[in-house]
Amino acid sequence: MKRTFAMFVAVLVALVLAGSAAAQSDVTVWFHSGKGPERDTLNAQVKDFNAQQSQYHVVAEQLPEGTYNDQVQAGALAGKLPCLLDFDGPNIYNYVWSGFLQPIDRYVSSDLKADFLPSIIAQGTYNGKLYSLGTFDSGLAIYGNKKMLEEAGVRIPTTIADAWTLSEFEDALAKLTALPDVKYALDLKFNYGQGEWFTYGFSPILQSFGGDLIDRNGYQNADPLVSQASIDAMTHFQSWFKNGWTTATPAGDGDFAVNKVAALSWVGHWAYNDYKKALGNDLVLIPMPNFGKGPKTGMGSWNWGITKTCSNPDGAWAFLNYLIQPDQILRMTDANGAVPARKSALAKSTLYGTNGPLNLFVRQLQQIAVPRPQTPAYPVITQAFAQAVANIAAGADVKTELQKAADKIDQDIKDNKGYPN
Amino acid sequence: MANAMRTRSTVMERREARTAWLFTLPALVLLVAFLVVPFLLAIGLSFTDQRLIPNPRLPTEFVGLRNFQRILHDPVFLRALLNNFVFAGVVVPVQSALALVMAMLVNQKIRATNIFRTIYFSPVVTTMVVVSAIWFLLYNPTQGFINQFLHAVTFGLTGTIDWLQDPHTALLAIMILSIWQGAGFQMVIFLAGLQEIPQTLYEAARIDGANRWQSFRHITLTGLRNTTVFVIISTSILAFRLYDQVKVMTNGGPLNATQTVVYQIERVGFGQLKVGYASALTVVFFLIVLSITLLQRRLLPEERNV
Amino acid sequence: MRQLRRVSGTFGNYLLLIAFAAFFLFPVVIMIVSSLKPDDQLIIRDLATPMAFVPSVVSLKNYRDVFANLPFGLAMRNSLVIVGSIVIVGLFVNSMAAYALARMRFRGRAAVVGVVVALMIIPFESISVPLLLMVNRVGWLDTLYVQIIPFVADAFSIFLFYQFFINLPRDIEEAAVVDGASRWRIYWSILLPLSRPVMATASILLFLRYWGQLLWPVMVARSTEVRPLPLAMQQFFGQQPREWGQIMAFAAMITVPVLIVYLIFNRWFVQSIASSGVKG
Repeated sequence: MKRTFAMFVAVLVALVLAGSAAAQSDVTVWFHSGKGPERDTLNAQVKDFNAQQSQYHVVAEQLPEGTYNDQVQAGALAGKLPCLLDFDGPNIYNYVWSGFLQPIDRYVSSDLKADFLPSIIAQGTYNGKLYSLGTFDSGLAIYGNKKMLEEAGVRIPTTIADAWTLSEFEDALAKLTALPDVKYALDLKFNYGQGEWFTYGFSPILQSFGGDLIDRNGYQNADPLVSQASIDAMTHFQSWFKNGWTTATPAGDGDFAVNKVAALSWVGHWAYNDYKKALGNDLVLIPMPNFGKGPKTGMGSWNWGITKTCSNPDGAWAFLNYLIQPDQILRMTDANGAVPARKSALAKSTLYGTNGPLNLFVRQLQQIAVPRPQTPAYPVITQAFAQAVANIAAGADVKTELQKAADKIDQDIKDNKGYPN
Repeated sequence: MANAMRTRSTVMERREARTAWLFTLPALVLLVAFLVVPFLLAIGLSFTDQRLIPNPRLPTEFVGLRNFQRILHDPVFLRALLNNFVFAGVVVPVQSALALVMAMLVNQKIRATNIFRTIYFSPVVTTMVVVSAIWFLLYNPTQGFINQFLHAVTFGLTGTIDWLQDPHTALLAIMILSIWQGAGFQMVIFLAGLQEIPQTLYEAARIDGANRWQSFRHITLTGLRNTTVFVIISTSILAFRLYDQVKVMTNGGPLNATQTVVYQIERVGFGQLKVGYASALTVVFFLIVLSITLLQRRLLPEERNV
Repeated sequence: MRQLRRVSGTFGNYLLLIAFAAFFLFPVVIMIVSSLKPDDQLIIRDLATPMAFVPSVVSLKNYRDVFANLPFGLAMRNSLVIVGSIVIVGLFVNSMAAYALARMRFRGRAAVVGVVVALMIIPFESISVPLLLMVNRVGWLDTLYVQIIPFVADAFSIFLFYQFFINLPRDIEEAAVVDGASRWRIYWSILLPLSRPVMATASILLFLRYWGQLLWPVMVARSTEVRPLPLAMQQFFGQQPREWGQIMAFAAMITVPVLIVYLIFNRWFVQSIASSGVKG
């Protein structure tokens, strides 16, 4: 009897579910499954979105982050992309160029656009059209151990305007390394390994010297990578290793905050929580140095795009539009600690608001952020540059390495006939 | 009469041939579909500029021998190939010798050899991705276990070796890890070979007054000839396929010191999206390994007992 | 005197055995010990000291976190189904082919053997892209069988069985042939039971190869329902810094079961290789 009743209920539930699913239109979504809180928040957002309206039903699939890009590539290759998915930073341009994404300009009013950080809009724009929006951005700066900096008698800049100059910066590295407790002054997070971090973290050095990864006027050659400015930049970079001011093999992630053998940590916003916990009031946030042509910082993070094959772009937008509501943005950035992507959300953020301890990241993003090259050649550019960085850190000849990287990039552009649009 | 016999035998031969094809069919169909055809496709792609993600505005083009010409001048490929040869040249003999020593140790009639067999084999059953992640931590220059251990046993003579970041040691570090992971398997194979050698041979040798080295040289090594050939050839093939360790630990760096051909093929195809060039690398690589295998077979003739 | 020499010889032997054991065991011990330490920084710090071998703290936190962060049981099931199917179906397909190649006369036999040997050389990494294009064409993506079928036939396994069969004395089957037994009967009831050792060897080899396979699942397995363990593990290899505790716990959970199975079949396994064709 009990069993029959249970069956009856089950059938009823199934019928109701089937009926409601048919009435709604499904929106398929892929996203990277990051660390706990970020993933939990997005899952909760999917659930809430599905619960609060009945027009669309989001079906979300999390893919493991370590191989996310490869899986998306395989999906694109197979023509099996979902309606909406997130991309890690500049990987998006190759998908746009290959015709996998559709512009979203029609959904984004100019007011809405103006409320986003300029870096987010820059990241999502290719060939004059907007293809993606992120709910958060990233920031790159230098964390410092105040006690060590004071002990070494190093000035601590607080604004972009009074950023360290090159000689000041290198002087600080030398003085800090000389401290008895310090093994090396600057933690460059080489423990992250050769990969996107190298381009994200170190191409701003090129740009602050006046060099770059590629000629951004048309993206047809990598001449700036072998310019004197770039060579100078990477020569200085190499000298930091040669002088023992930094290391290519830190002992895991803890040299700055836990082991306290490094005085400065050149890293993104994401390190804040761990650092704050370990250093407390000794933690200071220092703007990116000015190596000659003004301080520059990296930017860019996960951003959402709608695929061309999506049969239900309105539904995809409805969900994306939900994710970019200021309170939803804050819900996410509270979980992952990233920089909220909209000014209206930033105003309410305790960390990043005007008086927040991380407001410097926002100012940097508004004033000195350089997007990574907005070209479909990006996968080749970043691989070539990351390889060069690794080799230069290991002591290879700077000019040769940059030339090799530039040749690789130039050849790729030529092989693809300049990536015509 | 003779004619009838021949007809019957051809009928039987034909029947046997048909049965044989039936038996081999499932394997052959699968091998052709999932290995031969993709490989032929790769050969075809090697003459094109195929991109991983197809582009409507830039259809794939036939580029003739361009990819192959580039391979000849590709410093990464040449370095990768050299590394593969160095790796195979060191790992194959060292690992085989080590495995033989281990096999002889655990083949003795003393207690607890079973436990030691299991221990020696345990790295084999841990997957490479996991093993590489662990060794990555162990190789850390200041915090890693290996340097600390060397420090302790040499009283600091070794200094701080930057295993994975120093171009001089990175490939060596990968070799050590690979030998560690693979030796247990070869050990079992040698052990199997050892157990086939009749004990009476050793006893006879002792009576003839042979010393230990002589009986090792003339009985053990001779008896293990086929086993050794098998171990050498299969280890060589595996050595040329080196990929997982590099992917997890060094990404081919520093200064290409740990580049390998298979790693390069995967990076070019998946990282740089150049399937055409990656395919050309595949073809060249296949030809090289094939000729090595054939050469080894010629130089190391097996004793055929059929 | 001789007695003394024997004792010292045995002692030296054990010393050597133990030294080797330490070399082969220490990373595995570190993995298990580290997985029990709830703090990633503690793991890193301890690695520089003998504390790496001491479970100073014993906590199952990392294990709980792994289960909380991903559907470990599902991934384990998928891996078992995939690898199990490859091994079981593969054994039949490969041994049948090897039997025909070793024991039957037909035109093209030598050529097929040559091709099989050549195929052992092709690294999977290099044909994966064309293969992906192919399986996509037939709509196989995102399934369990796309992770099974391409690997059922295996050149190396065929080669193993071939070596074994070709070394078997012929009179075993000749009696059966005279009795009028079909080839199938001979294969099924005489050769297959005889080849148990090779089957064990081939199973272990195939199992180990596909248990850790990552590249192909990355390309073809998207949904959680078909995701095997190595792909699920990639969840820990995204954002920096790495969560070493969870990585070690995950690693221990996919390693220890295999070790236990090996421990159980250990003796049998060495014997099996001893009588299989592997030895040459």
